[in-house]
Amino acid sequence: MNGTALAIAALVMLTLVKATPLIYAALGGVLSERSGIVNIGLEGIMIAGAFASVVVSGATGNPVLGALAGVAAGALLAAVLAFVATRLAVDQIVAGTGLNIAALAGAGFGLVVVYGQPGASREVPALGATGSNVLIVLAFVAAAALQLALARTPWGLHVRACGEDPSAAESAGIDALRTRFWAVVAGGAIASLGGVYLSLAELDLYSDGMTAGRGFIALAAVIFGRWTPLGATGAALFFGFFAALQFTLQRAGVPSELLQALPYLAALVALAGFAGRVRAPAADGVPYVRS
Amino acid sequence: MTALLRTRAARDVGVVLVAVFGVGSLAMALAHVSPLVGFGSLFDGAFGTPEEVAETLVQTTNLLFPALGIAIAFRAGLFNIGAEGQLMLGGFAAGWLGAQFPLPAYLAIPMVLIGGAIAGGAWGAIPGFLRAKLGANEVISTLMLNFVATLLTTYLVTGPLAQTGGGSQETGTLPKAAQIPDMMVDSRLTYAFVLALVLAAVLWWVLKRTVFGYELRAAGEAPEAARRAGIDLARTAFVAMTLSGAIAGIGGATIVAGVLHRFNTGLSPGYGFIAIAVALVGNLDPLWIVLASLGFGMLQSGGVAMQAEAGVPREVVSLVTGLVIVALAGRRAIANRRTT
Repeated sequence: MNGTALAIAALVMLTLVKATPLIYAALGGVLSERSGIVNIGLEGIMIAGAFASVVVSGATGNPVLGALAGVAAGALLAAVLAFVATRLAVDQIVAGTGLNIAALAGAGFGLVVVYGQPGASREVPALGATGSNVLIVLAFVAAAALQLALARTPWGLHVRACGEDPSAAESAGIDALRTRFWAVVAGGAIASLGGVYLSLAELDLYSDGMTAGRGFIALAAVIFGRWTPLGATGAALFFGFFAALQFTLQRAGVPSELLQALPYLAALVALAGFAGRVRAPAADGVPYVRS
Repeated sequence: MTALLRTRAARDVGVVLVAVFGVGSLAMALAHVSPLVGFGSLFDGAFGTPEEVAETLVQTTNLLFPALGIAIAFRAGLFNIGAEGQLMLGGFAAGWLGAQFPLPAYLAIPMVLIGGAIAGGAWGAIPGFLRAKLGANEVISTLMLNFVATLLTTYLVTGPLAQTGGGSQETGTLPKAAQIPDMMVDSRLTYAFVLALVLAAVLWWVLKRTVFGYELRAAGEAPEAARRAGIDLARTAFVAMTLSGAIAGIGGATIVAGVLHRFNTGLSPGYGFIAIAVALVGNLDPLWIVLASLGFGMLQSGGVAMQAEAGVPREVVSLVTGLVIVALAGRRAIANRRTT
């Protein structure tokens, strides 16, 4: 291989590494929002996944168990949001904002309790190159599977119905609250893999603030990707590509702040309708209360 | 109806107390600290000496401005979670202007405060405009603009508008004339505290007694009825978001001109987010928000002592704050949030 080919291969690989956590989180966001629950808590769910996976991997010496624990923790945090959003019909944005704050603080607190030090955990057994590659491939498989499941299965139809018009869905015999609840929990499980990837595949530890707003970039990817799994994956790859290019472009004189702001600006542009019509699920963010 | 509201308010107070003391105690126990010792050091750290009371009031001030801004938007049925970004922009404008233009105090202090209000107001006007003209969800746009604000101010302060060399993330130091005067020696408490209290009283009056306040509340509580009554919902959305951002911007300006005497990209430990909890606990009523900001100001200032003296990680304070937000997400006041 000549130098250019090598450089391109390295760029592709780095893009995949940067995009993978975003893809998982965005897929979790898509699933949740298509059922009608806005999940602002993606960042907190990633934190829960990253932190719990490190603690369990460190305690058991088994990173796969760690990854599973991370998924369980993400699903559990999502279940809290799902519960208050469906059964208590609270404002999903407010609740999600609170969960993010609590998750970040909870993990920071956990660092002190478990490792006796603030800032970062010690190094734990990680998933290694193979595990990292498996998670990268799995992200794309998950995207395709979720796209198919939402579009073509009865379950997907139920989820979408709850996101568009939950009371009509209930008239058709669908339990909207239950459907929404499990869509958010499943979305949390998927999104937490983004956190697991950061802590156990890209690194081998948890450090305070390591998710660095990726949950919000994923939210931007959901919007930029027009609330579809494949669209969100494309948006995540687009953002990942610019993250991978950051150092090259910075050397060429592009301010790094502009590159980092790109996902947020892209989401704003999409929201403002400058890039064609963007429409959220009709009942997205609206609590459903049975009358 | 009033009885029901009163019951709900009482229940909410109960929820907050359980979150603060229940979860706080549990977390302290996990950190092997007796809750009595932990909370003792927290209260002592917040109120033990006059200097500590002053620092509690500094934190109260820093939370009060963004909380008042958030409450204005909320009352208009708009969820502004961009107070953090609006506060950053306001702080940057104040720091840059104050260090750039040496003026006598009677001009310099209004300049930094008005500069902060304009910058924060502009940052609030963007989502207001996107909402009013293009129907873009203000929650997502304010959220995204928080990150853009941090990056933009970092870019400006290290790049085109740098006043200090070496890629420093600070503006120059404000001259004495541009600094808000201290209220107490050996403390960081300034007359910004009084300004915040006056603003709370003014906003209470505006919401309660003026046509504008009535329209704002009508737009928030019953948008459809307000529209039929001839209230321009797009206009109230734009004005409310701009005003909300301006208030948070003044808050950023007072941190810069009162506490730090320069803008620094790390000036806020998340005041704009904690202020969401403050606004909710204060039931979106400016006067109750004063009390709520004192409570959270106490947690902020006492948390430092709690960590230093009792060995309880400060994160407990944020953990409790986050849970309070989750617990109050069901408040009636925000149940009517405009969603279309």
